[in-house]
Amino acid sequence: MTIQERVKKILLVDDDFDLLEQNKLLLESRGFTVVTADSGSAGFETFKKEMPDAAIVDLIMEEHDAGFVLCHRIKGTKYGKRIPVLMLTSATYDTGFKFGAGTDEEKEWIKCDGILNKPVIVEELLTKLEDFFE
Amino acid sequence: MEDRNPYILIVDDERGLRLGTQRLLQSEDFTVDTAENGTEGILLGTRNDYDLAIIDMKMPDIDGLEVLKEIKKARPNTVCFIATAFASYDTAIEATRIGAYSYIPKPFTPEELLHQLEKGYNQRVLTIEAEKLRKEREERLLELASEQSRLKTIINSISGGVLVVNKSGEVVYFNNAALKNLNLDSLTIGQYILDKIPEKATEIVSGFIDGATAENLTKSIQIELIKDTLFVEIICSTVLNNDSSFAGVVLIIRNITEMKKIELVKSQFVSMVAHELKTPVAAVQGFLKIILDDSIPITEDQQREYLSRSVGRLQGLLDLVNDLLDISRMELKTKQRELGSLRLKEILESTVQFLKFECEHKNIQVISGIPDNLPVLHADHNELTRLFTNIISNAIKYNIENGKIFITVTEEKHYLVIAISDTGIGLKEEDRKKLFHEFFRAKNEKTRGISGTGLGLTIVQRIVDSYHGKITVESEYGKGSTFKIYLPKTNK
Repeated sequence: MTIQERVKKILLVDDDFDLLEQNKLLLESRGFTVVTADSGSAGFETFKKEMPDAAIVDLIMEEHDAGFVLCHRIKGTKYGKRIPVLMLTSATYDTGFKFGAGTDEEKEWIKCDGILNKPVIVEELLTKLEDFFE
Repeated sequence: MEDRNPYILIVDDERGLRLGTQRLLQSEDFTVDTAENGTEGILLGTRNDYDLAIIDMKMPDIDGLEVLKEIKKARPNTVCFIATAFASYDTAIEATRIGAYSYIPKPFTPEELLHQLEKGYNQRVLTIEAEKLRKEREERLLELASEQSRLKTIINSISGGVLVVNKSGEVVYFNNAALKNLNLDSLTIGQYILDKIPEKATEIVSGFIDGATAENLTKSIQIELIKDTLFVEIICSTVLNNDSSFAGVVLIIRNITEMKKIELVKSQFVSMVAHELKTPVAAVQGFLKIILDDSIPITEDQQREYLSRSVGRLQGLLDLVNDLLDISRMELKTKQRELGSLRLKEILESTVQFLKFECEHKNIQVISGIPDNLPVLHADHNELTRLFTNIISNAIKYNIENGKIFITVTEEKHYLVIAISDTGIGLKEEDRKKLFHEFFRAKNEKTRGISGTGLGLTIVQRIVDSYHGKITVESEYGKGSTFKIYLPKTNK
């Protein structure tokens, strides 16, 4: 089963319109259907309405932790627990914010199934989605 | 003493002998005083510090031994000779006991006399030299004693902690700051200390003690003693004995809490800057990759749009870099301020003129009420222009189409108050509080698509602060905001 067969619809949440549009194009070119939202709160509404098969959420949006909050809200739903949720950020070690979702403890706290660096590399994204289903 | 002639006193009642001896000694470069009786002898001998004195034993008024006694009492270092024609063993003993250096039997030849005087003079030089050394030694000891107490006072006064540990790990010296900086209540000399100081410091000290290295070694560590409250730097150095053997370890404990706090603020700022710089770069890179990627089908119009949006993002990046440079210059105070007498009305009007295009773009009307007779301000033209440009351009950016901007200037006690109001989207209360934070930008459905660096008001705040002014913001979400800038009137 290819990942496109498992994951048909992806929810993308980012407050940067340019990045949102780019990632949408990128994913659509790989055969996914993409729905978008530009804030944490809008993201949760879209999640409930669209029931996507995966979600990719930017970390820093209207608040510095809007992405965290959205991850918690999605994973707090019964449906959300079943789908892969990836956090998208440029705020990794090289910019001084040190966190990851490596250990179980970190995963419990961050409530996401993986962290993706900006800019998105599609192959990396696909690997992380595949990892979730294995 | 070598620099001057020997100074000698001759006490003799025999005039011939007295004058003869004087002539002889003067020809030998002595400086000579004479006394013709005992009374005069005592007077001169006690008043002047003679190198040498020749005292006749038998004089009509006072006995030579009595004169000798008085002179020695007042001038113990004057070398005295007793001269007599009636030499006897007993008087010689007596004279020596009182302090005579030697005994010159009369009559004497010039050679005999000079020989004796030379010996006596050498004695005098030695005595005085010894005396000088003794005095110097005493003074040094005194100095040393006060030096020690001074050192103690100094060590106790410095803010850095000083703690000396011997090779058994016991305290041999500490100052008050050591207790404070190590967060210890008390310490006693002789107490084992290695379980009282932070573990990392103990490791270093133990390492030095176990190695007993006969070398000057220094290691330092930074420790967070109380979370977010007390950071210390501990510098450990070996202390060596005079023979270079290992004696112990001296610890200097510095409170670096303030430094650490500044470091933290700085590194947070750098993290935020890095994030803000990365985002536009990522956006431009993303567009270019899409354009270059043949597997993503886009139209020529889309391609053109993405290129133009890339140009916009790069412009934003450039604005950000310029804002950062401005802030950095303000912080370093390297920016050359050119203070001049400025007319507020002119500056505000030219700023509005400068932003005319942006106003027309959104059809915004600027209504200003600026009196003509305002006092002149003593300020830097560029800084004030920057200040008003940032605020008025915000009033345009965050305004609605066909909105209005009101600019008024009033005088309030010591201040000129510039109020800039807009009919824009306003601020939520939680956003209003964070407005002057670096990189803060209100993000909500109404601010969508408005570009900015998040540094404009940071710069405004800093300029206002540098003139000892203040800035206030009143706002109602959905209705508009009013920024009031208070600039002190220039004292004439």
